[in-house]
Amino acid sequence: MAYFILKRLVQSVFVMIAVAFLAFSLFRFVGDPVSQMTGVETTVEDQDRLREGLGLNDPFVVQFIRFSSDLLRGDFGFSYRTRQPVAEMITNRIPATLELGVVALLISLIVGIPAGVYTALRPRGIATQLILMTTLVGVSIPTFVIGIMLIFLFGVQLGLLPTFGRGGTVHIGSWESSLFTFDGWKSLILPAVTLGVYQLTLTMRLVRAQMMDVMRSDYIRFAMARGVPLHSLYFRHALANTMVPVITIIGLQFGGVIAFSIVTESVFQWPGMGLLFLESIRFVDIPVMGVYLVVIAFFFVLVNLIVDLLYFAIDPRLRVKEDV
Amino acid sequence: MKNQNLLKSALLSASLLVAANIVSAETFRWASKTDPQTMDPHAVSSAPVLSFLNNIYEGLVRRGRDMSIEPSLAASWEPLDGENGWRFNLREGVTFQDGADLTAEDVLFSYQRAASEESDVRSWFAPVSDVRVIDDHTIDFITKAPNPLFPDSIANFMILDKGWAERNDAALPARDAENFATMNVNGTGPFTLQSRDPGVRTVLVPNANWWDTPEHNVTEATFTPIGNSATGLAALLSGEIDFIQPIPLQDVQQVESRDGFKVLEGEETRVIMFGFPHEHEKLLYSTNESDSNPFSDPRVRLAAAHALDIDSIDRVLFRGKIGAASQLVPAGISGYSEANGNRPAYDPERAKALLAEAGYSDGFSFGLKCPNDRYINDEALCRAAASMFAAVGLNAELSTGPVRDYWPQLREDDFDMYLLGWSPGTFDMEHPIRFLLHSQDNEKKLGSWNFGNYSNARVDELLPMIQQEIDPENRQKLIDELVAITQEEVAYIPLYTQPLIWASKDNIDLTQRADNFFMLRWVTVN
Repeated sequence: MAYFILKRLVQSVFVMIAVAFLAFSLFRFVGDPVSQMTGVETTVEDQDRLREGLGLNDPFVVQFIRFSSDLLRGDFGFSYRTRQPVAEMITNRIPATLELGVVALLISLIVGIPAGVYTALRPRGIATQLILMTTLVGVSIPTFVIGIMLIFLFGVQLGLLPTFGRGGTVHIGSWESSLFTFDGWKSLILPAVTLGVYQLTLTMRLVRAQMMDVMRSDYIRFAMARGVPLHSLYFRHALANTMVPVITIIGLQFGGVIAFSIVTESVFQWPGMGLLFLESIRFVDIPVMGVYLVVIAFFFVLVNLIVDLLYFAIDPRLRVKEDV
Repeated sequence: MKNQNLLKSALLSASLLVAANIVSAETFRWASKTDPQTMDPHAVSSAPVLSFLNNIYEGLVRRGRDMSIEPSLAASWEPLDGENGWRFNLREGVTFQDGADLTAEDVLFSYQRAASEESDVRSWFAPVSDVRVIDDHTIDFITKAPNPLFPDSIANFMILDKGWAERNDAALPARDAENFATMNVNGTGPFTLQSRDPGVRTVLVPNANWWDTPEHNVTEATFTPIGNSATGLAALLSGEIDFIQPIPLQDVQQVESRDGFKVLEGEETRVIMFGFPHEHEKLLYSTNESDSNPFSDPRVRLAAAHALDIDSIDRVLFRGKIGAASQLVPAGISGYSEANGNRPAYDPERAKALLAEAGYSDGFSFGLKCPNDRYINDEALCRAAASMFAAVGLNAELSTGPVRDYWPQLREDDFDMYLLGWSPGTFDMEHPIRFLLHSQDNEKKLGSWNFGNYSNARVDELLPMIQQEIDPENRQKLIDELVAITQEEVAYIPLYTQPLIWASKDNIDLTQRADNFFMLRWVTVN
């Protein structure tokens, strides 16, 4: 087990270096950082001096090696835009993105799994049709439109919820959290729903399809014939057997939720990593963009690892194999 | 039962929160698109930084509501006798926010800091040859040549306390890595920094020891950058912010139609124009005219100017909010040439005739470059212009892109025609002459934004004369001559002055200054 985890972590380093390489080869096309760092009156001469000082005139390979060896030494560099240490900027923004992603995931699970089970068990009910239709609409509308619609409905028309930002946050050590204040939750709910809608639909439809499949299988029929109570049949026997593919997909999707929270964060001015990344693109802030992409790659690797570990917890057959 | 109690206390605390908001009615919350990159007044010369820091730091002189120069840290100033330069007499009894006194040493230190290689505002001091402290409250700026505009040109030169900067290791602006002045301030101005979370929230509170009498009634001001304009509008309409700058043109009606909100409209000093490849030997993007450069013929340039219908552009794209421009600064800016206030009329027939005269009766195609995120409706403007050009036979191949990629292309001469907006930093005609009309000259640091390298010996000769002429009437004559030359040669096609559109709640009084700077010291919350 420990060997398995270690192996995956070592692999992740290679994944991150590959991502950094791809990212760096694209940065040259993003634009000129120096013209974004300086004012209009700055002379061409001063711009060139700055460019030289930042090493932007060096060949691509030299720049990449400098960036990745600095990273390996734990030196994340300084932002071109704000001159702050990149490590500090990113770590300050991680809590906002993670909390948003996790709450979005929880919403999608808490609503999606029961809804999936319900629609599987009552495939022809009116409620089922209604649920299926609304979620289809939800998944067909782009995220930013959903976000803007929610903002104008709940923020502007009804005046119930804040339209932007994180609201009241509490510091727990260096972790800035919005989960411990009423105000924080009010700010969190709209972006989390916006981010979670796609996940929710996916989870629900997946659970529904799996559940319908499992309900037709022989062991369920035998169990039913044997008189196993329905409640236990549905949730203990049937649902548990649908969970392995569901967890795989949801797990893989979670990496995407973190990475693609960019759109939601921009619509709600949610101060997470995604918003930071967007600002950095606008200013061609190469150090921040590079580190962000590497961190996101790491998240993906980590989430995949956790998914693999969850298999062990859920599927007893895998545990048996490991013991042998 | 327990739950009910919880609910009650939640409601109670919510209503207390509301009550607290009413009590501190002078809390002012505002938003803009971009967060100031730094709190260091010499590190980045960008509008978000200079505008924001003018609330905290002050210069020797400052600009009033109408952009006029007025005394600030210098109570008065006069030209030096027998020498080129200016003497500034500092105001007595001014203290920095940490209590230190303002002296001439601080001004000298700030000059050295702002003129250093690490500074991004050093071009302001290119005319300065020496700075001398005369006594504690008198300082001389010696210039290389007579420079009547020097005091006007340093309105954004902000003064730091020498002791504070040196104590905190911030004697030079932070260029590569942050230093103490990136996140901390110590100015003399009306407000001081209470907290800063870059990109999230910055809170300012009044400086109790400010030397001037406050005209505002703000007790706390919170700034939030909101990049997405729809989000910004929602934040205003939901009442979470009191003021936002700017809002997109298409949202004006939405704001005006609602009770309790108002739109503030004005003209920015930024003139939008098309530029030509004067110096190029041939067109880069033409399909039928790739061996020569038709734009080197002034008749072709004039034809392009006659092809554009500014009134239609105004009506369709700008809802009647732009003013047509005849030269590189709008009327009202010092040095504006009244004598040359007419722009080429919309006259497609004349345009075609001019093209035929120049030997292009069938027209030709060329590449038009435009940014799509720099000026208001920039991409739409270029589409409209391209179809107007096409109507007279000038087939513009339009390519647009984000501004981060745009300037490098122009610097590399990668265009046949381009869009540019220019706001005169010194609010004088001399500024665009220096940057846009003088021939490119890296050594003298002139013509650095003259991408097409428009070059006229007389214009180059006139610039230093205009810079040094003390008599306003003579100076205006020189400018009039220069503007006449550049209009006759169609150095650029000035199009219009960009509008400024801000929005606020009805109960907010503020001043919209033509440089797009927002000053907290003129905010009243009613």
